[in-house]
Amino acid sequence: MALPLAELLKLDPDKMPAHSERPTPDEFRHKKQVYYEDVQIGQEIPKYIQRFNTVHLFNWCAAIENPHRIHYDHPYAINYDKLPGVLFHGTWRMAIIPSWLKDWTFPGGWFWKADWQVRAMVVANEITIVWGKVTNKYAKDGLGFVDLEIGIKNQDGIEGCPGNATVVLPLKGGKPIPYPFVPPN
Amino acid sequence: MSRQAESVLTPEIKALIGEKGEMVEGWGVVDEEYLRRFVQALPDWDPTYWDAEFARKTRFKARTVPPVMVTYMAGRRPLEEWSPVEGRPEVERGSLPRIPTKLDRHLHGGDAVEVFQYPKLGDSVCYQRRYADIQERVGGDGKPFLVIIAETTYWNQKNEVLCKVRSTYINR
Repeated sequence: MALPLAELLKLDPDKMPAHSERPTPDEFRHKKQVYYEDVQIGQEIPKYIQRFNTVHLFNWCAAIENPHRIHYDHPYAINYDKLPGVLFHGTWRMAIIPSWLKDWTFPGGWFWKADWQVRAMVVANEITIVWGKVTNKYAKDGLGFVDLEIGIKNQDGIEGCPGNATVVLPLKGGKPIPYPFVPPN
Repeated sequence: MSRQAESVLTPEIKALIGEKGEMVEGWGVVDEEYLRRFVQALPDWDPTYWDAEFARKTRFKARTVPPVMVTYMAGRRPLEEWSPVEGRPEVERGSLPRIPTKLDRHLHGGDAVEVFQYPKLGDSVCYQRRYADIQERVGGDGKPFLVIIAETTYWNQKNEVLCKVRSTYINR
C-alpha cells in the first residue's frame, strides 16, 4: 500500500526512498494497464522518491553535455555564484516529469503534456519526491483524459516545481490511443 | 507623488513576437550510445528502450526513447563547434534575437512540454525556436518586468512534429 504524500513527509528523510513506487524493469514487463475508469479525482499517483547525489549530477551533466560549473564544481557554486551547493539543472525537471508520467500510463496510455514553474533549487543530496494528484477526468472521442496537479517536493515538503499535467488513458473495452498522438480539437 | 513606471514592453520588443530562430539540424542521429547514457543518468528503467524483443510486443512495435530525450540530444555540437580551451561549445545555434532591454536579471520561470511521438533509433532531428509571446507584468515593488515565452518545436526527418517545449523566462 502506497504511503500518502502527507504521511511520507512525516518520515525521517533517510526512510523516504524506501517508499518510492518507481517500477523495476521486471515490474515494467508485467505492468497492468491503468484504465480511465480506475482513476478517481483526488487520488494520488505513484510517487518517485530518490536522494540524488553528486554522482547523479555528474552523470546528468555528461549525458546532456552541459558543462556549467554550478552543477559539479562545489567551490565554484558556493563561492562564485553564492549557491547553497551544486544544483540540478532546471531542465532536469523536464526529463523527470514526462518519464514518470509515461511510466504511469504504460503500456497503453500516453503522456501528453505538462507545465510547471521553477520555484526552488534542487541541491545535490536532497530527497526529491515526484508526486501527482488527479484533479479532473473526462472522456472525449473514446479516450480518457486525466488532469493532474504535479510537483517535486524535497524532504522538508518545500515545493520546487508546482505544475499541471494531462495524460491519456484507454477506456475499458475502448479503442487504443492513437500513435502518434493527435490532440483533441 | 508617485509616478507610473515607464513601460518596458517597447514597440521594438513587441515586434519580436513570432520571430523565429534558424532551423537547426541536430548533430548525428538518435543513437544507441546517447540513449544508453541518457536513461542511465535520468534514470528511467523502462525496458522498451533497450529490450528489442519486449519492445516489439508493445504498441510501439519497436524500441523507443524517453519522451523528451530529443530536446537534449538536439543540442549536441559537432567537434568543430567545440572549444578545446573552454571545454564548451563556442557557437550558439538557433538562437532567437536578443531582447533589446536594460533589464539585466534573467530568470527561468518554468517550462511546458507537449509530446506527440518518439523518434526512432536512426532518426535525425531538427528544431526551431520562436518567441511565442512577450508580456509585461508589474512586480510587488511597482516595477514592470518582461515575461518571455520561447517555444521550440522538434521534428524528425519526415517533418513530423515530435514534441514542443515552451519555456518561460523573466527579465527584470
